Amino acid sequence: MKNKSFDILLFIAVIAMIIFGIIMIYSSSYIWAEYKFNDPFKYVKSQTVFFIIGIFLMIFISKIDYNFYQKKSNLLLLICFILLILVLIPGIGKVRNGARSWFGIGPLGIQPSEATKIALIIFVSKYLANNSKDIRSIKKGVLPILLVILAFFGLIMLEPDFGTGMVMVATLIVVLFISGVNISFFIKAGIFGLVGIIALIIAAPYRLKRIVSFINPWNDPLGSGFQIIQSLYAIGPGGLLGQGFLNSRQKHFYLPEPQTDFIFSIISEEFGFLGVLIVTFFFGFIFYRMIKISLKAPDNFSKYLAFGLSFGIVLQALLNLMVVVGLIPVTGVTLPFLSYGGSSLLVSMASVGIILNISRHEK
Amino acid sequence: MKKQSTRIRFVFIITILFLIIIILKVFYIQVIDYKKLNKLSSSLWGRNLPIAAERGKIYDRNGKVLADNITTTSLVLIPNQIKNKKEVSKKLAEILNVSVKEMQKHVYKKTSIERVHPEGRKLSYDVAQQIDKLEYDGVYLVKESKRYYPYKELLAHTLGYVGIDNQGLSGLELEYNKYLTGKDGAIKYFSDGKGKKLELSEVYVQPQNGIDVNLTIDLEIQKSIERELTNVVEKYNPDHALIMAMDPNTGEILGMGSRPSFNPNNYQNYSTEIINRNLPIFMTYEPGSTFKIITLTAAIEENKVNLFKDRYTDTGGVTINGARIKCWKAGGHGDQSYLEVVENSCNPGFVNLGLKLGKKTLFSYINKFGFGNKTGVDLNGEENGILFNLNKVTDLELATTAFGQGISVTPIQQITAVSSIVNGGTLYKPYITKSFSTSSNIIKENTPVSRGKVISKKTAKLVRYALENVVAHGSGRGAYIENYRIGGKTGTAQKVSNGAYMVGNYILSFIGFAPADNPKVVLYVAVDNPKGVTQYGGVVSAPIAGSIFKDLIKIMNIKESKKGIEKEYNWNDVKYIKVPDVTGKTKDEALKLLKDFKVEFSGSGNTVVYQSPIENNLAPINSIVKILLN
Repeated sequence: MKNKSFDILLFIAVIAMIIFGIIMIYSSSYIWAEYKFNDPFKYVKSQTVFFIIGIFLMIFISKIDYNFYQKKSNLLLLICFILLILVLIPGIGKVRNGARSWFGIGPLGIQPSEATKIALIIFVSKYLANNSKDIRSIKKGVLPILLVILAFFGLIMLEPDFGTGMVMVATLIVVLFISGVNISFFIKAGIFGLVGIIALIIAAPYRLKRIVSFINPWNDPLGSGFQIIQSLYAIGPGGLLGQGFLNSRQKHFYLPEPQTDFIFSIISEEFGFLGVLIVTFFFGFIFYRMIKISLKAPDNFSKYLAFGLSFGIVLQALLNLMVVVGLIPVTGVTLPFLSYGGSSLLVSMASVGIILNISRHEK
Repeated sequence: MKKQSTRIRFVFIITILFLIIIILKVFYIQVIDYKKLNKLSSSLWGRNLPIAAERGKIYDRNGKVLADNITTTSLVLIPNQIKNKKEVSKKLAEILNVSVKEMQKHVYKKTSIERVHPEGRKLSYDVAQQIDKLEYDGVYLVKESKRYYPYKELLAHTLGYVGIDNQGLSGLELEYNKYLTGKDGAIKYFSDGKGKKLELSEVYVQPQNGIDVNLTIDLEIQKSIERELTNVVEKYNPDHALIMAMDPNTGEILGMGSRPSFNPNNYQNYSTEIINRNLPIFMTYEPGSTFKIITLTAAIEENKVNLFKDRYTDTGGVTINGARIKCWKAGGHGDQSYLEVVENSCNPGFVNLGLKLGKKTLFSYINKFGFGNKTGVDLNGEENGILFNLNKVTDLELATTAFGQGISVTPIQQITAVSSIVNGGTLYKPYITKSFSTSSNIIKENTPVSRGKVISKKTAKLVRYALENVVAHGSGRGAYIENYRIGGKTGTAQKVSNGAYMVGNYILSFIGFAPADNPKVVLYVAVDNPKGVTQYGGVVSAPIAGSIFKDLIKIMNIKESKKGIEKEYNWNDVKYIKVPDVTGKTKDEALKLLKDFKVEFSGSGNTVVYQSPIENNLAPINSIVKILLN
């Protein structure tokens, strides 16, 4: 069983996606990079470094038996807990985009909330696998783990990093769902969540602005509607075949930081509808391969873990794409594999590494 | 395990559904919303550096420019594109001879397009060349164009004027603004979010100059008209004065002008009333005796009169429906042929012609000649005039209409009607725009538009003959030019104010044509309330027409003719001689001096205090001179 090779198609698809991402990061960022740092390759270089590290990391992790995480899940979560506390302390954690969510290490940055996502998925998967009988009872089985999840969500919200926190909570709730928790729980949780979201909006009115600007971005084209409109200005003129590689106009200081949240806009602008089809197909394909691994996983822990990690990636992708095309309000999540961002890339690649390891144990 | 797999598959399907929704949304944005977003985003990226189009020019019939443009070069900066702002400021300041500090204000300004005003406007060729040679990014020279009327007051009302943005505000400038206005060009370039020029592409959209308008006006004729208008204002200080010249064979207006006038280059200095009233088409008033041409023509065409055989005895007035209509000549003209009735402009004689025609016939001619309706000339601001309502016309209204009272007409109606009479009977729609053209080809050309044949050639010939007699022998003699054949008719119309005739306030007019046998031009002159002169059209307006005709002979190359009616030796000529000055003389001295006239006395003294006609007027031999004794 140990000698079995991992899912090579998944590996290739992910690598191809990241390479395409790096190319698009160049195209979308060189204007800003030259303007800000006098170096058009600034972002590409950084992303490439993370990519190379990421390949080794992914292959290395794919060789670590997933059972290792089951054993060390408490430790991993504890480390993440400490990091989440530390990042809140001014001077240690760095503020970026209004959230104190980064550790700056040289020119690079590490986001503890991203790592927490993986650690918590491992923890929850183990919990669900070990308590498969208890989880039929909401009180006895679901509520304790839910409290753990919400505690970490709370910590992330202190930064505050609403996007990452939401992806994490939503992913784990879906993991609860597939593990067999009663449907009635999700209905209750849904109502509770809705109330929670409303409470969060009241707590920070800028979120309401985001929602309003989503409903009609043209109300405030220079304020809250700015990003959505600029994104539509990029996607729209792309047409069927796009403006051609490097020919985006919106990257010329119209769309702010196009290499992160809105890289998909630039892809749409330069490669048109055809490019969009190919990118979404790749996401669908990667998700399909990962789900297949989850379905064929040898035990419950690996099944939940594979599903949780893959759904985490895909949910983040869906949220990003829906923001970019104007289906949901701006949430501030990046596009896995494609967006610029070192720690996000490393976490995604690490997740794939774990899934690849599970694929070695397929039944 | 089975339950979990089912749920995993369920989540997978939902996820794929979301992906499909995203694809559909992108399809919607890129295909269905494409046009809208493309347009909006183009306006976001695109920047235009405007290049002003030149307004179409207005030419006379011989290609002389009446409304011109002055083109200047101006400096325009796009600060975001200027790379070395320090150097650019310094160099431009040097060339434009302003302080570097002043220049920096423009160069560093946070704006998309900065006009360097006023130092950078209307640059001389040399300065523009120097700037052009620098070839700096973000430094542009653009063309600006300003309307200019080289002849100032000349044809001002008809040409009109333009506002600050070269938009037509009155006259032809307004009427043909659409043609005259060109399409501004631009240098289109794409800019980034910070306003800098992108390398992507730059499109030069050439400005399309406006379409030129070519008039039927002849500048030389117009100059003559304007000169006479200026003279008449200086000489008589009238309330208004207007002159119009028309080619009777086409309806083309050769010249038209009026006073008071304005200089369209600085129209702001004049009242809107002066600017907006183009009197030859706007002013309506009783035509007076010039209208007798219409009655005469109708009577000849209807065979109601033989000019030579039929006779009329004028006793000084006629009574119609109990109202007494007097002849302008006290005591009347006595026994006359109808030709003499025309020469003498004898009111009772024309009343008789009117009554012979009857109201239906006379008014049908008045209508056929276009009175009461706009002529349809291609100018703004034309008036209709007022006629009697036919149902309410009694013999009295018929009688006054016959000699030009009680109705109200415009100058252009009169000149158009008389043109149709003298050209052989065809009524043309008057027009002033000959064609629209670009530098390379004619876009649209106006041709004469006939509105029908009103009278026969034979009638036309007789009327021309009668009117030639008026100039040779009658009241129109002020327009007589030796060896040229000129026909015409004077008019003296009392002005009406609040329904009553004003005392001593007349519009003196003359309508004439040359040559009388084959008219090439019809001329209309009207002077409203001249001061310090005998109020007869023959005294004021005919000489003005005469001096314009002298110019017209040269301009239109009208040939001499020996066949014309001479002043002295015609078969029915009444010799005119100057009435000598007898005021202040004794009764006997006066009788001696007036031996060629019949003298009527009034008063019982021995010294002459007043004479009529006054001294130096021309009067027929043996006509009556009245003298008043103290």
